[in-house]
Amino acid sequence: MLALDGVTVRFGGLLALSNITFTVEKGEILGLVGPNGAGKTTLFNCISGLVRARGRIGFEGKDMTRLPLHRRARSGIGRTFQIPQPMHHLTVRENLTVAQVFGAGRKDPARIAEILDVMELSHKADADAASALALQELKRLEIAKALATEPRLLLLDEVLAGLESNAKRSFMLKLRELHALFGLTIVIVEHDIETISNLCTRAVVLNFGQLIADGTPAEVFSNPAVVESYTGTAHA
Amino acid sequence: MTELILQALFSGVLIGSVYALVALGLALAFGAMRIINLAHGELVLLAAYMAYLVESRTGLEPYAAIPLALAVVSAVSIALFMLVNMIRDHRELNSLILTFAIGIILTNAILLAFASDMRTTTSAFLQDAVSFGDVYAMRGEIIAFALSLVLMGLLWWWLKASWYGRAVRAVSSNRGAAMLMGINPTRIETVSFLVAGALASFAGVALYTMSVVQPAVGHALTVKAFIITVLAGVGSIPGVFLGAVLLGVTEALTVTLASSALQELAGMVLFLMVLFLMPNGLFGARARRG
Repeated sequence: MLALDGVTVRFGGLLALSNITFTVEKGEILGLVGPNGAGKTTLFNCISGLVRARGRIGFEGKDMTRLPLHRRARSGIGRTFQIPQPMHHLTVRENLTVAQVFGAGRKDPARIAEILDVMELSHKADADAASALALQELKRLEIAKALATEPRLLLLDEVLAGLESNAKRSFMLKLRELHALFGLTIVIVEHDIETISNLCTRAVVLNFGQLIADGTPAEVFSNPAVVESYTGTAHA
Repeated sequence: MTELILQALFSGVLIGSVYALVALGLALAFGAMRIINLAHGELVLLAAYMAYLVESRTGLEPYAAIPLALAVVSAVSIALFMLVNMIRDHRELNSLILTFAIGIILTNAILLAFASDMRTTTSAFLQDAVSFGDVYAMRGEIIAFALSLVLMGLLWWWLKASWYGRAVRAVSSNRGAAMLMGINPTRIETVSFLVAGALASFAGVALYTMSVVQPAVGHALTVKAFIITVLAGVGSIPGVFLGAVLLGVTEALTVTLASSALQELAGMVLFLMVLFLMPNGLFGARARRG
């Protein structure tokens, strides 16, 4: 479904991503892991179109490398941010409806109601998006907004960050539910090894902008290079 | 004295409604693109001169010039947008310089085409006095006031209920996230500039029917629109209307109670007082989400 081939990003003299090559298969839940500064969010930015990269980004057989951000969203790539980015001037329902009309190219109130329901935001549907929501609700809105564009690939950037362990567990169950309900392929950036092990069928590990491991969570987390990258001795 | 003050308040409300149209155009372009269009007042002025052109050449009422004003101001707005859109770095700052320069060019083009004479409507129908108890207004002022209220209502509806209006609010709220929802920002910015141009067209024609225009007025209108936007906060139509009325009333009272020479100064003093006492504007953060 998603094919990255030699994706490379430089910020001035800094090599943020170096020749990243891997594929994501339809229906997978793939964990993208690595220490801070490894290049995980930069890779998300490349896939969603926020950052221009060298190499090739293919999605469902089409070359997306030169497509602008909004056209990638319309092509079926949804994305969330670690810090939720609601449309502050719009209500929760408007956030979703605008995303559906412009992202999916159609208006389907029943689908919006379904998303609001599954994301447990129905009671806040007509509330101001910014001021009336707690952090966990804002995070759910962030995912709901992406779902409203009717993506086939969903990129989740540290969506569990900042949540306490019970909330994290229930959020993880919610992600499984979304995966099944909407037939999604999910790539999730997450630091927590336990979460990746429980949620993902496969994990890709980045360190200093390079791909250092790719396999099942059990395989990658027993890989010495990955252990070194997490304990900080690899480039010490 | 009481009659004079009442008359000043009434006149201030009437002119304030047209100021509100000017300010809403400026705020709309700012909301969508995060640029302050310093040529916005000149777009209003251009429309006013289209009204003068139609009235003086054809003898028709100035409001007959609205289609021409819409066409000319829209064309200039699109050209202006394309120039601003070519700026790649530091768009907020560089667009200030660019639009300031375009404003100067437009002022001088109007000066060349229409000379520096003051112009106002010669329509007896629009200049007829209408009384409301102890206060009076020209029929042109009443029509301009009603037109402004209708346009503000339409703008409110467009922003609230239409998909493009909602998309303008989305881009205004969070440009990057709006793009991730599939919104093409260039299209939304173009639409915003066109709507701002339409508001400028109506405001210009209305201004011509109730006031005096000359080439130097454009810059003063931009300053007034900027003051109102800061007073009200970006994004609130009722806030902009109240800010505009406040400015109009302040100017009218200054002219009545002091001197017409102090009219522009009064607006500036009001602006500085609000900035000093209420840095978030008269309507604070609540209005910004309106």
